[in-house]
Amino acid sequence: MAHQGMDTALFERRLRPIYDNLEVGNNRKALQESEKLLRKHPSMLCARALKGLALLRLGRYEESHGCLQAVAEDKPTDDSTLQVLSFCYREMEQLNKIVELYQHAVKKNPGNEELLAHLFISYVRVEDYKAQQAVALQLYKAQPKNAYYFWSVISVVFQGIRGPESAVPEKRKIYLGLAQRMVEKHIREGKLESEQEAFLYLHILKLQKKFQEAWEFLTGELCAKLYPGAPVSMKFELLKVLGNWRELNELLQQLLDADRDRWDYYKEYIQSCFEILKLPITEGATEEKKFSLSACQEFLQGIIDSSERKKRGPYLARLELHQRMRAHQLPADQLIGDFDELVVEYFSLFADKSCCTHDIALFLPSVSMKQRQALANKLLLESGVSSTSLPMNKEQMQKHICALQISRMCGAHIDLPIDHLLAFYTALKLHYEHGRSTFGNKLLSTEMGPSDPYALLAANVMYDISLRENKSDYLFEALCLLQYVLRNSTSNFHVKLLSLKIYHMFGCLLGAQEMYEYLDIKQIQLDSMGYVHCQLLPLCGRFSGARNSYDTTMKFFTNSYKERLEYIALTYRFCTFSKMEEFLNFKERLTNSLQYVTCSLEAQICDLVSCYANVHQNLSTYTVMSIEPAEDRIAWHELSDNRDLDAIIRWDPLHQVDADAERKDSFDQEIEVLQLRSLMLRLYATFIDLYHPPPITKPSLSDGSKEETPAPAVESATSTLELLRDSWTGLYQRLRLMNYKPLPQQFLVNLLPTRLHLLLELPYERFFDDLAQLVLDLHSGAASLAAHCKKVGDNVIAVMELCVRTIEESNEWNNKDGLWKRRYQQQKVAASLEMLSLYAFLLSVLNDKLQVSSKTKVKKKQGDNKTQDTPQPVSEKERSQMVQELMRQLKHKLEACDAAIRTWKAPVLPRDLSSFMADMSLKPEVEATLIGDVSATFKDSHELMVTELRNLLKDKIRMVAK
Amino acid sequence: MTTLRPFTCDDLFKFNNVNFDPLTETYGLSFYTQYLAKWPEYFQLAESPSGQIMGYIMGKVEGHLDNWHGHVTALTVSPDYRRLGLAALLMNFLEDISEKKRAYFVDLFVRKSNQVAINMYKNLGYIIYRTILEYYSGDQDEDAYDMRKALSRDVNKKSVIPYTQPITMRELRHQTNH
Repeated sequence: MAHQGMDTALFERRLRPIYDNLEVGNNRKALQESEKLLRKHPSMLCARALKGLALLRLGRYEESHGCLQAVAEDKPTDDSTLQVLSFCYREMEQLNKIVELYQHAVKKNPGNEELLAHLFISYVRVEDYKAQQAVALQLYKAQPKNAYYFWSVISVVFQGIRGPESAVPEKRKIYLGLAQRMVEKHIREGKLESEQEAFLYLHILKLQKKFQEAWEFLTGELCAKLYPGAPVSMKFELLKVLGNWRELNELLQQLLDADRDRWDYYKEYIQSCFEILKLPITEGATEEKKFSLSACQEFLQGIIDSSERKKRGPYLARLELHQRMRAHQLPADQLIGDFDELVVEYFSLFADKSCCTHDIALFLPSVSMKQRQALANKLLLESGVSSTSLPMNKEQMQKHICALQISRMCGAHIDLPIDHLLAFYTALKLHYEHGRSTFGNKLLSTEMGPSDPYALLAANVMYDISLRENKSDYLFEALCLLQYVLRNSTSNFHVKLLSLKIYHMFGCLLGAQEMYEYLDIKQIQLDSMGYVHCQLLPLCGRFSGARNSYDTTMKFFTNSYKERLEYIALTYRFCTFSKMEEFLNFKERLTNSLQYVTCSLEAQICDLVSCYANVHQNLSTYTVMSIEPAEDRIAWHELSDNRDLDAIIRWDPLHQVDADAERKDSFDQEIEVLQLRSLMLRLYATFIDLYHPPPITKPSLSDGSKEETPAPAVESATSTLELLRDSWTGLYQRLRLMNYKPLPQQFLVNLLPTRLHLLLELPYERFFDDLAQLVLDLHSGAASLAAHCKKVGDNVIAVMELCVRTIEESNEWNNKDGLWKRRYQQQKVAASLEMLSLYAFLLSVLNDKLQVSSKTKVKKKQGDNKTQDTPQPVSEKERSQMVQELMRQLKHKLEACDAAIRTWKAPVLPRDLSSFMADMSLKPEVEATLIGDVSATFKDSHELMVTELRNLLKDKIRMVAK
Repeated sequence: MTTLRPFTCDDLFKFNNVNFDPLTETYGLSFYTQYLAKWPEYFQLAESPSGQIMGYIMGKVEGHLDNWHGHVTALTVSPDYRRLGLAALLMNFLEDISEKKRAYFVDLFVRKSNQVAINMYKNLGYIIYRTILEYYSGDQDEDAYDMRKALSRDVNKKSVIPYTQPITMRELRHQTNH
């Protein structure tokens, strides 16, 4: 090593300024500092590596690549240089390079623990379990620590259950058997030390279905000593698979005696009772069948009778027993009592807690619709609040709320005539106001109002009415009510979520944005909750507004993508064997999140739609995106649905809600939408690439690091274009055949329709298909060019007309209902402008290219043309003129769109709301500001959108003006 | 009525009904993954019979010699499942694990203004051990109480003799590093 003789302290002092500048993001200065240092010490590896890092950060990939490559070829062994290099390779996702780096370093310093540990982790990053195993053993040899030994054990396990050979049962068996023997050898030598090691041994046994051995170990002395905190659920699981129901039953009785509110224990306990019933009859058997279940009932009753403080546990367990007995056609009523009475009893004991609704809901599906509705009425009666009375106290109010929620779940409201529903809504509103003024004062800002659930229910009811009438009035009133509630109880996120939904339904993006910000969604919530806002933004009417929201989300994803492998490395560092598979799966889920992929794609489309600079700047924006259309980068079969759909509370009739189907249908459709959008972008990119071939400089960021040959760019671009164009029309054909149904909009909390039907309905397919032909013809100068110009021109007219007509319709709708169709109208306008904007950018690129080439007469191009069999290609000059003609036409149509948008009226809001407000007994000044604020939000939202769309058009008009 | 089970990575996608609560912070991923990787048994979740997340506790065990102790980093219960004794259940669980790990005491930090929580911890046997000045940063910095409860290993209850003087963040960091 060049600097080995040098004093390390001196060395570090010299490097310090580079590190410091990198740390604060001053990459230019860091580069200068490194160059300065390298002038004095040209061979100093770490300084060279840091220079590579600075270049990387400055986006000078090619130079950075060369610089890092040169350092790597010197095969460094010092920690600081290695750290810098692996950091760079991690940034660039060239994980195999890190492996090579440490392989060389280890070769030079065999047995060096630190380097070996780095090598091990670098294999962890690429999930090479076999290599992991080998390195772990070397580590153990170098330094006999338990951690290293067990690193090799888990690496063997992973070869058996996750690695490439895990699909072969014999291989799996061999690996798991080996792992078991490795641990057992360690146990024999008395070297097992930690609970995670004990966990791993149990896990290995369970993976091989050696349950008896696992049981013996778990209940043995060694495990008790090493793993005192072993979850008791491990015992249940083993007793269950071993069929040891009687022992399980006894164990659970003991546990329940000590801990009387544990649902997991009750559930297993009741199951064990039913399993004992099934056991073959042995001696004294005739008694046993009855004995088991009545013992269960007695046991539960005993807990109820002996508990001082009433806990929900045993009561719920009794309902569960009842439900299961009925499912087995056993006489539940006889043994336990009447189901309705049990529920009513439960209600009278616990309905003052808000969880009671969730509890009772668990048992409703097991009884008939008729019984459900009868039960709902009993509960309403039991609550003691009638249509003419008000709750006497907070507890009674909560009971009333619970009874109403359950009534809705039982379908009691859904078939009522509209005037009944309206009366019900009024009652809910009054109950809200009464509860707020009577029991809701002195609320902390962090608390939800106790009567808020009335208002939430009211909003749902108003949606039902709106849907039946196909009118927005009622729902708009609900929105005002929710906004009113939000003023009183600022932390109620249910109110924010429902408001957000309604704002989106009405196309009010500003209101939606406000609610979204109010929810303070961040970090992983951006993934799991993105569906309430981000997923609804594409084509909603604003481009740059939406782009900002994508940005926040993208920041989270890019960050976690970078860190994803370090989380896994962490589990190795702490030897947390119980979490490794979980972390590996989590990584997959996060990186394949549909939200992630959708968001990054829509952000790209958005950037191309809204680019506004001159053609060269726009092209370099485009180049940075490195779309590489030939490559489909989306792992379609791995896409993961990370949405937390349960975060939005609902009490919709259980018999009409199929949450799983809703999840699946919406996810399937979102994937189809993603297909359309991704293909549109890639196809569009081939148009650009044909005229503006991408530079070949940037090294591939993917790990495959395949050699990028300076391919015959034009031919490959043409063939990719043709290929993608076929896929494009093929995809449309398939989607039409699939005949997807729009997502049902039966209830307020249902997901809004996906964009699938919009994209199928609007002329996207033809627009881009014809554009593809135009681009090809322009390139070759084919004789059909003029005809295709005409086609594309006609498409442009059609899209412009679509835009203008939609706005006219929207203005007409304003006379009857300004909100009901608003979102859909805005989507159509946005989609029209999206198509025209992309087209404008394309024309500007074509024009730029053709102007240049018709002036300079590039020889190569003519050569190209000769190879084609067209007799007389249209001259470049003519082509250039044709493009200019298209630009003139587009400019004209864009102006027509702009004129229409100028006339677009803000939505007229429903009738005056004074009666609504009168019911709320509000002070006049509150009333005025509330309605005023909501109305202003709609008005401002519209104006913002119009301004943004007009700016977009202005940019595009400028783009095609020359 | 609760199922107690270890918190898993997948729960991060499903804890919104709990984390939308204004007093519950949603941290960066590395914070959760660090706890899950380092102290997996200290991160427990309470699940309702319908499968909803009712609340969770996140903690760790650390310190040297007689400072070896369990620490509660976050404890949160969804608004729908309050007043059911869930927080106590989760705290018991953490104390139990800390007993098994032979810790001397359990401690936690709480906002001085969060009277509801302070009372609850007092009811569970915690005392105010000391005040940490400006522990919570924000629009207005806020002091924290460091609350403690001795475990059975601390026979003489040495760990819960309160400090009379408040300490600064700097002193706190200094102590934790030793």
